[in-house]
Amino acid sequence: MIRSALLAVTAALCPLTALADDQTLDIAAPFELKGLDPALSGDIFLRLEIAETLVDSDAKGRLRPGLATEWTTSEDGLEWRFRIREGVAFHDGTMLDAAAAAISLNHARSHEGLLSRAPITDIRADGADLVVALSEPFAILPAFLAEYRSQILAPASYGPDGEVVALIGTGAFRTTEVSPPQTLAAERFEDYWDGAARIPALRYTAVTRSETRALMAESGDAELVVTLDPASVTRLSELEDLEVVSAPLPRVLMLKVDAASPFFDSAAEREALSMAIDRAGLAQVVLRYDASADQMFPPNMDGWHDAALPPLSYDPEAARALLEQAGWTPGDDGIMQKDGQRFAVELVTYPDRPELPLTATVLQQLFHDIGVDIRIVSSNSSEIPARHAAGTLQMGLMARNFALVPDPTGTLLQDYAPGGDWGAMGWDNPEAAQLIRRMASEGATPGDRARIAAIFRQDLPVIPIAWYQQTAAISDRVEGITLDPYERGFGLARAGFVE
Amino acid sequence: MSLRSDRIGWALLLAVIGFALLAPAFDQTGPLKQSLLKALAGPDAAAPFGYDHLGRSLFSRLAHALRLSLTIAFAATATAAVVGIGLGVLAAWRGGWIDRALGLVADSVLALPALLMVLMMGVILPGMGAAFWAGIAAVQWIEFFRLTRRACRAVMDGPAVEAARIQGFGPAWIFRRILWPEIGPVLRTAMAFGVAGAIAAIAALGFVSVGVPAPTPELGQMMVELLPSWREAPVAVAQPVAACFVLLLSLNLIAGGRA
Amino acid sequence: MRGLTGILAFRLAQAAGVALVVGVMSFLMIQAMPGDAAYRIAAARYGYDMVSSQAADAVRAELNLDAGALAQFGGWIADLLRFDLGRSVVSGEPVAHEIAHQLGATLHLSVVALLIALLIGPPLGVLAGLRAGGLLDRVLLVAAAGLRAMPQFLLGLVLIVALAVEAGLLPSAGHGRAAHVVLPALTLALGLAAGSARIARDLMAGIAASQHYAFARMKGLSDGQVLRHHGLRNIAAPLLTYLGLQFVFLAEGVVVVETIFGWPGIGHALIHAVFHRDVPMVQGTALVMGLGFVVLNALIDLAAGRIDPRGVTA
Repeated sequence: MIRSALLAVTAALCPLTALADDQTLDIAAPFELKGLDPALSGDIFLRLEIAETLVDSDAKGRLRPGLATEWTTSEDGLEWRFRIREGVAFHDGTMLDAAAAAISLNHARSHEGLLSRAPITDIRADGADLVVALSEPFAILPAFLAEYRSQILAPASYGPDGEVVALIGTGAFRTTEVSPPQTLAAERFEDYWDGAARIPALRYTAVTRSETRALMAESGDAELVVTLDPASVTRLSELEDLEVVSAPLPRVLMLKVDAASPFFDSAAEREALSMAIDRAGLAQVVLRYDASADQMFPPNMDGWHDAALPPLSYDPEAARALLEQAGWTPGDDGIMQKDGQRFAVELVTYPDRPELPLTATVLQQLFHDIGVDIRIVSSNSSEIPARHAAGTLQMGLMARNFALVPDPTGTLLQDYAPGGDWGAMGWDNPEAAQLIRRMASEGATPGDRARIAAIFRQDLPVIPIAWYQQTAAISDRVEGITLDPYERGFGLARAGFVE
Repeated sequence: MSLRSDRIGWALLLAVIGFALLAPAFDQTGPLKQSLLKALAGPDAAAPFGYDHLGRSLFSRLAHALRLSLTIAFAATATAAVVGIGLGVLAAWRGGWIDRALGLVADSVLALPALLMVLMMGVILPGMGAAFWAGIAAVQWIEFFRLTRRACRAVMDGPAVEAARIQGFGPAWIFRRILWPEIGPVLRTAMAFGVAGAIAAIAALGFVSVGVPAPTPELGQMMVELLPSWREAPVAVAQPVAACFVLLLSLNLIAGGRA
Repeated sequence: MRGLTGILAFRLAQAAGVALVVGVMSFLMIQAMPGDAAYRIAAARYGYDMVSSQAADAVRAELNLDAGALAQFGGWIADLLRFDLGRSVVSGEPVAHEIAHQLGATLHLSVVALLIALLIGPPLGVLAGLRAGGLLDRVLLVAAAGLRAMPQFLLGLVLIVALAVEAGLLPSAGHGRAAHVVLPALTLALGLAAGSARIARDLMAGIAASQHYAFARMKGLSDGQVLRHHGLRNIAAPLLTYLGLQFVFLAEGVVVVETIFGWPGIGHALIHAVFHRDVPMVQGTALVMGLGFVVLNALIDLAAGRIDPRGVTA
């Protein structure tokens, strides 16, 4: 009886499913919409190809023209000129020009972000060029303008008080509905400068729970599901009507330590911790792909990865020996001691990425095997920078993205010159800091990059654990979707439904 | 429901409690010991129920998870009962503005979802055990308060209390001999429902990842962690689900049997 | 039975009480947050890749977080008296605006859930009560006990796996198309249906065993006629009161169910607000949920009084 009543209700509502629009590409991803300002949700707008930046980057992270066709710097490096692309229409029909680009970039610069921290003195339009004046040479500037917070919106997007009141970009799709935190709908923009897209409409849904996302892929409710949890990858790979794809990312799972604390103040102690980590086993069980990091930078980071470096290895015996050389002796409870102090530290991590607490749990046991006792604090992601600033962080487990801007130097500048919220703490290496600053202002040579990789390997300011892969489930109803290692998009403008 | 379902409920509850109490005695591995190579493997001598996704013994984790849920739930409900009955008697005894004020507080808290209280307590009192206990008790006392106040009012005006007062018996005597036999059975039902509600709430919060922090085993969190593997290792996922279901069913049967 | 003014006065006092409890809880929440609220808010706004000390400092300066908890609490109460709920510290939008948006989604979900529950629960309960002890009665008892022993998040997942993934009948999660509401609503409804079926069954069984019911049958009225004239009216009022009390159950379910199904309602917003330490949003959503309960119960008091004016109390 209950069942028949249920069936009746289900049957009554069933025709509704048939109305599911076949011409709309449904995308499910974990990133919630927070607002219209690119500083809040610009990453989503960029990925959905609603808004664009002056400078774009390819799958290797090499810069290429976006809304600017070319750029040059003055002799002294203090002035950059970006030639604005002609014939680009905003979604409201107005045309892109240098003045419009200047409004957007000045908006970004007036808010906390990369541009506000760059040595910029002025951004202005000069004919067809956008001119950026600097107080000191800054070679990495074009890469900064490729970041999502530097995207260009139409002047009508900004309200009287300078806040973003409408999302009017130049991309291949034009928004029809933005309902934070969960939904964004967009339709094809027929006047897109690079040729109109094949897909008529998009619907983006933010679904924070990974198991729900995986189920949406499985039931066919979303044609593109981004960021799958490792266990679901295994399950979804067995299904026939969808494909699970992955792309290596310049994102590294790493352990940050306070290199000024008595526990980690020698490279030998940090090396010992590193040797205690069974990276292969951990990656196999927690991440479920072979991604154990044997140095800081993954192989897809050209010039930064150096195959000749001695790999980080797993050797708990040697790890104990290193700790004992550094003056630690096992206590009665098996935990190392030095000068009456137990090797007991707190590890802070955050559950935003589900693999982090799991990794912490595995590390807890691996470290216990070499006599290091850790207590896991799984909290908010902001705890790591907050405790870094307060000087109370001992260990932090995190996933750091080296592609915040296409040039990793941008991230390194924040994190390792000499330290930063998501990078080194209490680490004193003037050579590295100077080198990174010089790369940012004058540009890098291949030798510089290899040198940084070598310093990181030798000194271990942070301990790399695994290199990430981005995973997505793509329905066989669509073709042409690609995963970008720099997480800038899915190739939506060129993708289409299978006929 | 019949007396039989009541008995089935008690039998199930005792079986679950027995498992939670006794299992750790037979367990060599403990709930945290990982053997990564055995992730999601089937049962063997060391882990009679098989292994979870990190190669931890499900037998051991299940027992500890049940211990945790039962402890918090019973502690919270007991606290709620003591506070609620106490305030209920007070309100009925004294009447007047005390009665009205307590009634208002109770009605106001009742209007807020219980999960909200537990969530907010989780922010106010970090250290999840205490937060659950305080949050659940802060919601549940109302049920006991209302039941007691209503029952007490009816009895208080009755001839038995009058007679006892004239004979010079104190409030404690009156409570024990006259009030308790009246409200006892109803309150036992409320307690069974209360414990069931508490267990479900802890699991639900574990499920939305605001519950007990890993690696401490907890039913809701175990379900979340194992859920993605439901095709690979259905038996592993079914275990916390079944444990939670049996526990709630037993408490509902006990409560239903008395209602 | 109390008069109309009595009911309203009681509910008004309750509403004030709700505001006070929410205020005090939020105040304690602010107190419990040491100096890192700026970091939390920065993380909520910009995501874990972008949260930094600079971002936190900018947030701190913008929101004047150093003002202290007492000042913030006082400010909230003062704003509340002007019916101003403030602005979300994460999105910067007015709280009232955000809640209005979310409340619509939640009401949609709740109403559908309530309809499904009413469609399933009471009819089955009445049928079972008419033949108390019969097969349907016993099956229903077992089913109801089973449903109540199933936490909602679990029920939701079972329904997704069974109806969306395996059978392919319904969309699993999301928001926007009409069919998206079915699974979350069903998840909420089954628990409610179990409870209301039991209430209806007990009431019906009592009525079916009563003398005037037997007399009506003797007069030669058909089952349906007897039910309409004597049964349903007696069941409706207590059932309505019961459902009013179940609103709390619904509100609670909404928090969990919305999170699982990605439904952009008030429960989902509440969890996020607590995570993000978005105190104005927590205050706003909790207040709206509490007041919603009060208003609904006031309406039910009035409606129950209409349907069956004999001795229904709030």
